[in-house]
Amino acid sequence: MSIPPAESRYESLTVDDEGFVQLRWPAGAKITGPSAKDAFDEVNRICAGTRRPMLVDMATTKSVAREARSVFGEPCAASRIALLGRSPVDRVIANFTLGVSQVPCPTRFFTDRDKALAFLREGPHDGTV
Amino acid sequence: MTEPFDDKRLDELVDLIVQLASGNLSARLAPSPARDSVDAVITGINLLAEELDLMYQNLEHRVAERTAALDQARRDMERLALNDGLTGLANRTLLADRIGQAIARAERGERPPCVLLLDLDEFKNINDGLGHGAGDRVLVEVAHRLSSVVRNTDTVARLGGDEFAILMPGTTEEGALRIAQRALAELQKPFELGDRAVWAGASIGVCFGQRGQTADLLLRDADTAMYAAKARGRGNVQVFRAEMHHAARERLQVASELGVAVAQGQLRLHYQPIVELATGTIVAVEAMVRWMHPQRGLLLPVDFIPVAEDSGHIVELGHWVLQTAIGQLSNWRETVPESFQVHVNLAPVEVRWPGLDEFISTTLQQHAVAPNRLALEVSETGLMTGDIAGLDALQTLRRLGVSVEIDDFGTGYSSISYLRRLPIDTVKIDQSLISEFATDGDQTAFVGAMFRLIDSLGLRTVAEGVETATQMEQLLALGCRYGQGIFFGEPRPAGDMTQVLSARPIPARST
Repeated sequence: MSIPPAESRYESLTVDDEGFVQLRWPAGAKITGPSAKDAFDEVNRICAGTRRPMLVDMATTKSVAREARSVFGEPCAASRIALLGRSPVDRVIANFTLGVSQVPCPTRFFTDRDKALAFLREGPHDGTV
Repeated sequence: MTEPFDDKRLDELVDLIVQLASGNLSARLAPSPARDSVDAVITGINLLAEELDLMYQNLEHRVAERTAALDQARRDMERLALNDGLTGLANRTLLADRIGQAIARAERGERPPCVLLLDLDEFKNINDGLGHGAGDRVLVEVAHRLSSVVRNTDTVARLGGDEFAILMPGTTEEGALRIAQRALAELQKPFELGDRAVWAGASIGVCFGQRGQTADLLLRDADTAMYAAKARGRGNVQVFRAEMHHAARERLQVASELGVAVAQGQLRLHYQPIVELATGTIVAVEAMVRWMHPQRGLLLPVDFIPVAEDSGHIVELGHWVLQTAIGQLSNWRETVPESFQVHVNLAPVEVRWPGLDEFISTTLQQHAVAPNRLALEVSETGLMTGDIAGLDALQTLRRLGVSVEIDDFGTGYSSISYLRRLPIDTVKIDQSLISEFATDGDQTAFVGAMFRLIDSLGLRTVAEGVETATQMEQLLALGCRYGQGIFFGEPRPAGDMTQVLSARPIPARST
């Protein structure tokens, strides 16, 4: 797959101490179908067959294309997803993502990081640190 | 944060909504870096507009797809309603419509249309003998051949069964007759069905339209002309003339009267001698049916046999001929030698009749006549339809000892090598080949070669239509052994023939 342009590529993708996947989009990112696919492929790769909760930091994301929202609806290694934003715009974008696609695992939008992490901890996961 | 009521983004948002409401679903408004609630509303409206645009496009696409499917279904329905399912040709409805259009154009000054009506001569034999599958393949091929001879402006139609029509708008009489002859020639060629060839042949009626005429009348008159072509021996083209209506009514009358002709004893048999050319000895007679009609006098076979074949009276009539001829041969027991034969013509439909062999066997026994004294004559075209049931029946009769003869050889399209595969003993050469002896030396040489080939197959040859002593001598020189024709004697009633046979000693036939 071709590599998406910088303005739409995810900023970082890591697994934290709790075994949660942390996906961060850069400020002003325009998430396209290929960039969403690129990010989810990487999520699946680093999970290496295990299922892990995932925190997606999408604060200040400029736009999420319809094709990208469809990618978010495809099954992946995430066992739960917390979408973290700050503004009412993030909330609208996040809820359109949740509304358009039938998400394959429990997914919710948060503006508070702690509440988001608490939601991720509620569910079981088989990932290890 | 900007005060909502002073915010110019709200005005821009109203403009966006107006644009969207006017149908411009691609209109969008970029949210500001503030990313506040107003920007959230802008983002939400942008996203809703995107969804709406997509749904609208999907809907448009589906409407286009459904419209195309409906158009296709309508075209399919029209095709089914107006075309023949087997051949794809126009059907009667479409033909009538196009005739109507052509007549309407004639009203505006164009030349009136012409209709050719074609009926296959041997289709029933093919269909009955080889099955509907074979019949259908012949019909499809007929459609191809007819389509290949017409102009782009003509319409070829199948009216049903083995009946076809060609509409020629704005044609001349010469042009129409040229197409009719080409169609006739195409349909006289053999039809290949796997490893078998069959012959269908056709009779064609032609009718030139007149201003003010209806499609129904034009078709009816073309049909009348087609029946006139059938009555003239089939395989020909007839142009409609008003007096043909009289002939058509007469055919109906004949069909009706034939039903009682046998029962009321109106049929007669006349006998024509078949002579050994070298000695002049009468070795056989051919029985020829006549109808002593109470009002119209003595009718020849051409006047009623085609009607009998079409009306189904032919089997009953054929039984009467067989019984009478065999009975007459029995009556001549004291007059003719034991090898003397009577020849009887069989129509193709009689050959296929399931009880034919049993009927003949019983009749021969009733009259104490040996089977080898009966010779059955079957027309070349009758045999060439490739009718398996008919060939089996003839084979059975040959095993009984009855002779089988192919009649009118040279009028159809059978090859001499094909004769080897037929269950026959004798080949009767058509008189059309003999009549050209005097004027055509090549024809004489050709017929001579034919005699030698037939002889090499172990078959006997009888020449029909011998009219002069010169012809007889030529035939003898060419190796033909038997002849028949007015030179040796006209067909005559049994009483007269008895006198002829009694007047001269009859040597035994040498074969």
